[in-house]
Amino acid sequence: METKTNQMHFYQRFHVLHRLLHIVIIVNFTGLAISGFLLSLSHYNWTKILVSIIGGAAAAGSLHRFCAVFLYLGIVVHLLWLCYYKISLKGILFGPASLVPNSKDLNDLYQNLRYVFGKGPPPLFDRFSYLQKVDYWAVMLGMQSMGITGLLMWFPEYFSTILPGHFVNVANHFHFHEATLAVMYIGIVHMSDTHLLPEVFPLEKSIFNGKITKEKLAAEHPEEWKRINLLKD
Amino acid sequence: MVWYSLQAYSGFTNAWGSIVSASQSGWFVDMNRFSSSAHGSIKCEDCHGPMAGAGKSHPDPKVKDFLRIETKKNFDYQSCKKCHKNSYERFLSGEHAKALIKEQETGVMSKTGPAPICGDCHSAHYSVSHLSHAEINKAMTTTCGSCHPSQMKSYLANYHGKTAVNLGFDKSASCTDCHGAHHCTSLKEKETALKSCRRCHPDAQPQFADIIIHDSKTDLDNKSDSKKTGLKTVHALSLISLIFIVMVLAFFYSHSFLLMLRKIHEKLRKHT
Repeated sequence: METKTNQMHFYQRFHVLHRLLHIVIIVNFTGLAISGFLLSLSHYNWTKILVSIIGGAAAAGSLHRFCAVFLYLGIVVHLLWLCYYKISLKGILFGPASLVPNSKDLNDLYQNLRYVFGKGPPPLFDRFSYLQKVDYWAVMLGMQSMGITGLLMWFPEYFSTILPGHFVNVANHFHFHEATLAVMYIGIVHMSDTHLLPEVFPLEKSIFNGKITKEKLAAEHPEEWKRINLLKD
Repeated sequence: MVWYSLQAYSGFTNAWGSIVSASQSGWFVDMNRFSSSAHGSIKCEDCHGPMAGAGKSHPDPKVKDFLRIETKKNFDYQSCKKCHKNSYERFLSGEHAKALIKEQETGVMSKTGPAPICGDCHSAHYSVSHLSHAEINKAMTTTCGSCHPSQMKSYLANYHGKTAVNLGFDKSASCTDCHGAHHCTSLKEKETALKSCRRCHPDAQPQFADIIIHDSKTDLDNKSDSKKTGLKTVHALSLISLIFIVMVLAFFYSHSFLLMLRKIHEKLRKHT
């Protein structure tokens, strides 16, 4: 799936659509996190001031729903792209280069744990490391459950006819817990493992410009690098 | 006007004020605050009546309990009825009046405390009028919460309370929007509850009333059976999801921390 650009030493790692979707997620995720936590932590004075700055509780609620719709539209666009990729481009969804977890990820995790304790070499990742797969599936699955619990609280009149009424309360608890998980995961784990590691600090640019250097590709995704060279031969 | 003559004695900041506060008596009225209150334009006699006519006399300083008698409990609230007929009648048909009758018959207070009458919730001398819905909500929550603290807590944890009280959102429901002002209805009965929900959620179906507003396990015994099972389900599932996120975060935080340490270690080692 790697196409060489004009400059020989760069490889394309991310399609322009995926770079755009990453930005859509950043913007809407931030909007959702800010408006959501302002509403749910409304008993502090500083949140009251910030909510009044963005226009009161009604505006914060509207912003939250607005961002939620656009974030979910991003997921829909991605799913449509997957269909296009499979049907028109005849792409492979389950190969070693895909984001689908496989047994190699467990081995990589084991080997990475040995590596962090200084007991062995770092694992040889393919196109996506297991942490990158977790990042992807955290968003993919998290957005489904955040979407469902959010809709339950958005349209309680409708959902109380098909589910027991107290499921709206369950949705409320789940939504808050998972929002906390999402913010604490993205804020610390995704940032430190993807953007803040010494070799890329302060920012991993490939998700924004789509490019990866030959050296970096060979060092960080050796299995993929091997496969590209096999194809060349 | 009456209060002008009384204002000579008012202003609790002067020497008179120290006497008043030292007395710890509820018999004194701050006329500055009174004159700017909702009742500020009516005469004392309108509520307190000509004392002689009601067979009462001015408090006698020689009596041991002088200025020590509980004012709120001894006022004859019949006089409120003259202007607030609807509220008075609603109160008589409501839960607080029922509790009052029960208390008088059995002599035992309910768990929440003595049954309230007008003066326990409303300040006849100082209540201000023309407040916005949001301002009333805020004041009401503390008033109701003084006897129903766990309900206040769970209401403030619900988005109705968060938006109405914390964020001053006018359209959010407060205590009396659901339980009724003066009626103070218990909403244990699903049909009664649904009527309240439908004031703001006109499309609500019967199951809508199973949504738990006072989502707390502190007073589980007072809840209806369907709410009890609902609450147990909600909190069991909530605990599971809490354990899940704590485990996920514990794993990935330690993973990231170790990985970061290792990478920094490698980088520093390369430099030396």
